[in-house]
Amino acid sequence: MPVLAPVLAAATTPAPPPPPYTGAYQPQGVDEIGLWKEMDEDERVLANSPVLIRDEALNAYVRGVLCATVGADRCKAARLYILRTPLFNANMAPNGTMRVFSGLLLRVRSEAELGAVLGHEFGHFEQRHSLAAFKAHRAGTDVLSWGAVLAGMLPYAQGAYSLRNMQISIYGRLSRFSRDQERDADLHGIGYLNGSALRPQAASVVWQNVMTEAERSAAARGQAHPRFDRIPFFASHPADAERAATMAALARPDAATRDDGAARYAAALAPWLPLFLDDQIKLNDFGASDYLIGMLGEHGATAPLWVARGDLYRARGYPRDLVSAAEFYANAIALDPNLPEAQRGLGLSLFKTGRRAEGAEALRRYLQLKPAAPDAAMIGMLVATAGQGQ
Amino acid sequence: MTRTRTATLALFAAAAPLFAMPAAAHGYREQGKPVAVAASTLVVIPNRDWNQLAGKPGKKAERWTLDGEQLDQVTFYGGIAPGEPLLRERDRKHRPLPKLTRETLLAEVPELLEATYRTDRAIASFTLHDARPERFLGTDGIRFAYEYVDDDNLPRRGEAHAALVKGQLYMATLDAPRLHYFDRVAPSYRALIDSATLR
Repeated sequence: MPVLAPVLAAATTPAPPPPPYTGAYQPQGVDEIGLWKEMDEDERVLANSPVLIRDEALNAYVRGVLCATVGADRCKAARLYILRTPLFNANMAPNGTMRVFSGLLLRVRSEAELGAVLGHEFGHFEQRHSLAAFKAHRAGTDVLSWGAVLAGMLPYAQGAYSLRNMQISIYGRLSRFSRDQERDADLHGIGYLNGSALRPQAASVVWQNVMTEAERSAAARGQAHPRFDRIPFFASHPADAERAATMAALARPDAATRDDGAARYAAALAPWLPLFLDDQIKLNDFGASDYLIGMLGEHGATAPLWVARGDLYRARGYPRDLVSAAEFYANAIALDPNLPEAQRGLGLSLFKTGRRAEGAEALRRYLQLKPAAPDAAMIGMLVATAGQGQ
Repeated sequence: MTRTRTATLALFAAAAPLFAMPAAAHGYREQGKPVAVAASTLVVIPNRDWNQLAGKPGKKAERWTLDGEQLDQVTFYGGIAPGEPLLRERDRKHRPLPKLTRETLLAEVPELLEATYRTDRAIASFTLHDARPERFLGTDGIRFAYEYVDDDNLPRRGEAHAALVKGQLYMATLDAPRLHYFDRVAPSYRALIDSATLR
């Protein structure tokens, strides 16, 4: 108990503001300089990657959130890249390359939540955690140490969200940290938020949502309830439940009434939401996708959200799903009658439940709204055969 | 004891492919000789010599290539039944693949292939182009084209032909790097499609 007391005491004190920024770090010694060169080469490949989202507005917005969190001077040290990758992830390499995955943008709902994750990654960078790990590995002379370095190069795995063999996640190859370093970065991340204009309590919400998503994903697949109070063997991160609790305690209590930027965030993400949702739905993870759609529609579902839910149910395709899907598409059409994807989904769902004449009507409307659709010829044939019966 | 046994097993496992070579080897599909593919009644007559890759990607799938799977691959799917995925599931528990259903429409086959690729091969970017009706295996079918960035970060193009026969899906796809290789192999792939029949 006496051992535990200081830990608890520390956890109930808000995270301190970060120390004055010392500026960009320059690599020292042959090892570090060599590592830097490798990271620069990685970044060159990254900058030319076909999955990079180059949209200026989105890049400027996400950078703005990073700057609002860590401050203008620190912000200059980061070069930000947004990748179209449906994973809940972000990382930052020691040379200042920050990678933000589209799956992260889909999962956070406010500037404060995004700032919490970006601030956490910046915390790793500022504390030079990757370098510390690299040096520790280099200090060893036996094969096992090198094995650990090589293991660190394996794709970043994060439970159910892992997309293995993915080159793009290997780019952040040195971004595996020890659990203590994760806690340290969490402390820094909240420290930035405490000192910003955003609501620091949002950080805890991110981890709570991650846990709920994992639960829904497992439940939909008939798997056992995931445990969040245990640290899996070899895990590189603290248990999610511990993180959520710690982060809530580290946030400044008097900052709880601050604006979290949810409205601004929703507006900035709106043009991207259908694409990011579609990427998520096609991962065939029903429980997680259904949860995310519900979460995004918490304050009222929009037409694109109804379409996404329709696509999700139509893809799973149990007979009851098809009836639900038709209903979801109809809800989308009620909100926006000119959304071609809603008419297409409604038409296909009705076709599959035997209501071919009504289905053909919706598909005709789809073709009117989007005559140059890539599947116009195929859908046209379906409409033509509707009158011929089964 | 356990250690020794494991080591012996590992040694045996390493040696096994040497003995099993003939069965595991890549095949050769000679020009002009009709051949049944994907353990099904789908028969094609190769317009030129093709290589058949060892190791089936699925229970009812088979892969051919001219210059190696990295540069071009033709995949045949022979009679996928409702409830079955297109490819073998590498991680059924955590990454189950989408399944064909009784209700799947021909117009939805491109979405099924897209979701299969995205889930199985971790593809972040996939775009479907030009899905249109086209006869395949002597019946009403669909032909569609697509583009994606594979897990090696290389943009690829694809073309597929599919038909539903008695509720089962028959399909052939060509996947090749967008630059140069797709256009080079496409005529040979299309000749295979033209020769395809159900026995």
